[in-house]
Amino acid sequence: MDAISARPVKKKKTTARLWLIIHSWLALPLWALVFFICLTGTIATVSQEILWVLKPEIRANRPSAEAPPLGYDAVLSAVEKADPGVKVDFISRPVKTIYALEVFVTARDGQSSTLYVNPYTGAIQGTGQTYDFRFFMRALHGWLLVPFNGLTSWGWFLVSSLSIPMLGSLVTGILVYKKFWRAYLHPRLRLRSGARIFWGDFHRLAGIWSLPFIAIMATTAGWFLIQHILTYNNITVSTVGIPQTIAREDVPSGTGTTVPWISLDKAASLVHQEFPDLDPAYVQMPVNAYNHIVVGGRGNYPLIFETANVNPYNGKVESTRRVSDRSVVELVTESMRPLHTGDFAGIWLKLLYFLFGLLLSALVFSGMMVWTKRTAQATKSLIRDIREVRTSTAALEDGQ
Amino acid sequence: MTEARIKPNPHAGLPGGKRRWPFHLSILLLLMPALLVPNYFRQVALFSGTGGLGERKLGEITIGPWKAQLAEFSVEEPLDQGLAGHIKSFALGLEPESATHVKASYMRVGKPRTLRAAGAIFYGPPYRQLVDLPIPQRTEPGERLWLTMEGWDGSVHQASIALSEASPVTEAWLAKQKGTR
Repeated sequence: MDAISARPVKKKKTTARLWLIIHSWLALPLWALVFFICLTGTIATVSQEILWVLKPEIRANRPSAEAPPLGYDAVLSAVEKADPGVKVDFISRPVKTIYALEVFVTARDGQSSTLYVNPYTGAIQGTGQTYDFRFFMRALHGWLLVPFNGLTSWGWFLVSSLSIPMLGSLVTGILVYKKFWRAYLHPRLRLRSGARIFWGDFHRLAGIWSLPFIAIMATTAGWFLIQHILTYNNITVSTVGIPQTIAREDVPSGTGTTVPWISLDKAASLVHQEFPDLDPAYVQMPVNAYNHIVVGGRGNYPLIFETANVNPYNGKVESTRRVSDRSVVELVTESMRPLHTGDFAGIWLKLLYFLFGLLLSALVFSGMMVWTKRTAQATKSLIRDIREVRTSTAALEDGQ
Repeated sequence: MTEARIKPNPHAGLPGGKRRWPFHLSILLLLMPALLVPNYFRQVALFSGTGGLGERKLGEITIGPWKAQLAEFSVEEPLDQGLAGHIKSFALGLEPESATHVKASYMRVGKPRTLRAAGAIFYGPPYRQLVDLPIPQRTEPGERLWLTMEGWDGSVHQASIALSEASPVTEAWLAKQKGTR
């Protein structure tokens, strides 16, 4: 081999080595934190499903196959009948039909709770806190429970900034793994060749199969970091404008007591008439006398909730916020969360996210194991080398 | 001297070496969320009302014919909200009987001249409403908070409370602002 052809090979080898060094340093110093975030995120993805398994009262048991689902008014009157005097704040119809309706209410003593209402019979199947296991998992995963000071939490900064080493690991991982695409067709997972080999094979195999998932997680989390930096600096890119209120002259007066709102079913059907592709998923009650009934749901673009504000006194749809009302930056920003959580298509996508979440957690763990086994081996071989040198030196000296 | 050679360390530059334990120190970071669990549940209770109307209860207040409970939502300085200025939250819980008659409640620093300038409007269910009250930085210490309520019958009633009583933290913050001006 001549010197000319040997040079590029050597150079290639040193760059690959540099990528490996960067790859190792990126996640290893914080491996436990990254592992914890991946694991809690994985659990958070299916937290609603976990609750479904544990709590029978949140399931939507259909009394018969042809029982029609109740309208919002029937739900409202069922709640008011069961618990007179309670104020309903919000009615939510979960995307998946296996769940009971969630009705957020506030009692006379000012305490809020969630009622689980059977969507077919209107029976109140149970009562829960407004904050359940789902919210806890989100808080644990998203900001490590570090309290918010205003709109930002440094826990959020810490977690979302892990997107940088994650993206770095992804890129350097690809660069280190020569011709990784071959492994899609010829996967290799050696189980009987020792721990070092197993964890190495596993790390590479899990890595190549979760490339798109890691890219989604790192990108969306990176976006959350940027958003949080903007929020911290009070910079807004919103096009929402000043909150809409109902004109003073449109609100009835001189009645003595609270004026009833129009029926919720009517509000939902008015919205449906105007926007046939909008599937009403929730109804939010006016938050005061000058506020609208907000009907929200998903339209043709599954990642974003669209809303319509209905005047509760005359039934006019006074303002809407649709996909077309948003700027490109807003569309991208608002699409990031559903892409991160995978909650927009049904249970199959959630389970897919869960599986890849487990794989990503295992990837972090196996990376750490590779490092442990490799350095252990390296130390061992180094010691062996030194010993061999010593014994051979001793033998040489003996022979003299 | 012998010329036996030791192979170069193939792991030069990689993390590790003799001391590997520092790379497991990030496990200690997990203590942080564990220690923050009680605080998380305290905050959650505040938001759902199970922890009471607010962090610092101010007791019952009478506004004309109506009665309500008032509270400082969280005991902290007004928050800088950029364009919106500095915002401080208070919570109001109308008595069930009053709740059916009161159309809207407002709060303002200083006495409002007209109903149209009654201040920020309270939002949320009448039994536990919040207001995001702008606190102008030029507010003189010793100022009062004015609560204006509008009834469905068209009547308007007012009551006031000293800022130093409603939120000593805000009063102290204002004094500090004055010092820096």
